[in-house]
Amino acid sequence: MTAEISKKTSSGPVRNWFRGVLLDWDRTQMLICFLLVGLLALAPLFIHSTYYLGILILTAIYAFIGISWNIVAGFTGQLLIAQIIFLAAGAYTTIVLYNNFLVSPWVGILIAGLVAGLFGVVVAFITLRYGLKVDYFALFTIALMVALRTLFLKWKYVGGAVGMWFSLTDPAFDKMIFANKEPYLYIALGLVVIGLLVQYRIYRSKMGKYFLAIREDEDAAAALGVNTSLYKMLAVVIGAAMAGVGGGFYVMYVTFIEPPQVFNLGLNVEIVMAGPIIGGLGSIAGPLVGALLNKPFAEIMRGALTGGRSGSSLIVYGSFLVLTVMFMPRGVTGVLHVIYRWIIRRFTSEELGEDQNGPA
Amino acid sequence: MALLEVTGITKRFGGLCAVNDLSLSLDKGQILGLIGPNGAGKTTAFNMISGFYKPDEGDITFEGKIITGLRPDIVCKLGLTRTFQVVKPFPQLSVRDNVMVGAYNRTNNRRESRQKAEEIIEFLGMQDVADMTASSLSVAYRKRLEVAKALATDPKIILLDESMAGLRPIETDHMIDLVRQISKRGIALLLVEHVMRVIMSLAERIVVIHHGEKIAEGEPQEICQDKAVIDAYLGEVEIDVKG
Repeated sequence: MTAEISKKTSSGPVRNWFRGVLLDWDRTQMLICFLLVGLLALAPLFIHSTYYLGILILTAIYAFIGISWNIVAGFTGQLLIAQIIFLAAGAYTTIVLYNNFLVSPWVGILIAGLVAGLFGVVVAFITLRYGLKVDYFALFTIALMVALRTLFLKWKYVGGAVGMWFSLTDPAFDKMIFANKEPYLYIALGLVVIGLLVQYRIYRSKMGKYFLAIREDEDAAAALGVNTSLYKMLAVVIGAAMAGVGGGFYVMYVTFIEPPQVFNLGLNVEIVMAGPIIGGLGSIAGPLVGALLNKPFAEIMRGALTGGRSGSSLIVYGSFLVLTVMFMPRGVTGVLHVIYRWIIRRFTSEELGEDQNGPA
Repeated sequence: MALLEVTGITKRFGGLCAVNDLSLSLDKGQILGLIGPNGAGKTTAFNMISGFYKPDEGDITFEGKIITGLRPDIVCKLGLTRTFQVVKPFPQLSVRDNVMVGAYNRTNNRRESRQKAEEIIEFLGMQDVADMTASSLSVAYRKRLEVAKALATDPKIILLDESMAGLRPIETDHMIDLVRQISKRGIALLLVEHVMRVIMSLAERIVVIHHGEKIAEGEPQEICQDKAVIDAYLGEVEIDVKG
């Protein structure tokens, strides 16, 4: 009898916590994300091919960079199309610091985040100062990207048109050089976890509510005391800093950078935009779920369709994106949310005897 | 000293003078009506007072401080907020989150903001729809949500821009009751309204504007009998009453 009671009370808090998580869609999304990260972390047990591990590493990097864009475009609704300029800033910072100043990449990617964040301040300041909104803001970032490509092509210090190689040495932890792929995967997954936590903290805080309010209606937000310029700048700077960190790690992993590669709208779509859009822009799980579909799909298409007509994989990939946007405007997470609400409604009406949604 | 003192504000859009030399004042807890035909400049005046437009001339003083040309969010922090004639909910957010955005005006704490939001939602009788997204609300609820968000910022003055337009009579009665209750909380209200029944039963004083200029000011009874007002605006109402 007593044993039974103690058993019940010990499992009670856990059960209650679990129920609390499941009844809250935001926390359920975090649970899904951590389960997915856990699965990725276990992947090396089953996958030994470096090719497939490489895809998983890039998937994780894409997820992290997707999160950075989700905060700017998804939460705050700012059409910062060419987010890749911040990724490039971070990547160049890291590689220059390593090659020219022997700064460890571990420190380098943090400085990269700082530099990209400061660059974000500049971009946000210019766009706010001249009141560039929505489509003009999008065009401004694209124009900036094109201008930077030309600048970097001529800039000898950062390798100009030749690009920069990451000078490889023997494997060394402090240089972030490893003999096999697994450590890269775990660093990338670590970034994803940090990204998810940062994103969640923002989403649940005052800042997050203000971001959403600005996305939904800027004037209404201002009337309720939201300093829209400040919060838009914060969103851009946070997104830029995260993209900078992601870019720093990305260049460490691919070991090479050249202007046409990073100042490129094609890569921008693939690395920044596709994940969150497929997964559900503005949702918590969107960037990770999207990256898990986006990168492997792109790679499989590339693998399956090469040898034939070059570029045919891009047609299939592009069609995939267009179809997703047409038929799942709120992404995979949007579909999951509908299913989730259906399950919760059944569950709560049977188990708790109450329906929280009230009359529809 | 009046809580809100507007002196001689003027706004021109190119050749059009939308508001010309408008003055009005509002005391603590008072309800002031602002009426006039379509295009008279009521909403423009609202936009200037709430900080969305900068007046070309004139001054706006709130609690003795000059707030002319300050940004809307600063004006709101000081305690003056507004609703919009075309309601502006945050469509994809739940009703509760909508109100929480307003409540964050006075706190940084999630729990406090949520508590405040719950309180306001209960005050406005919106508990049943608290979890629904704002986009799925009926017109009456949207109008009420607009008030709820403004109320959550903990203001001293709310500018209500046609919050009864498009409501059915019973919903209008409900809203009138609500405005009275808000007023009882000691919050001053500046009402722009076309529904004369509402303005006559609520406002303690009325300012009438026409072509951007003030043509009359006084108590509801005086306004009803004012020749200039009848010519410019109220004439229509008399025809309505006969029909």
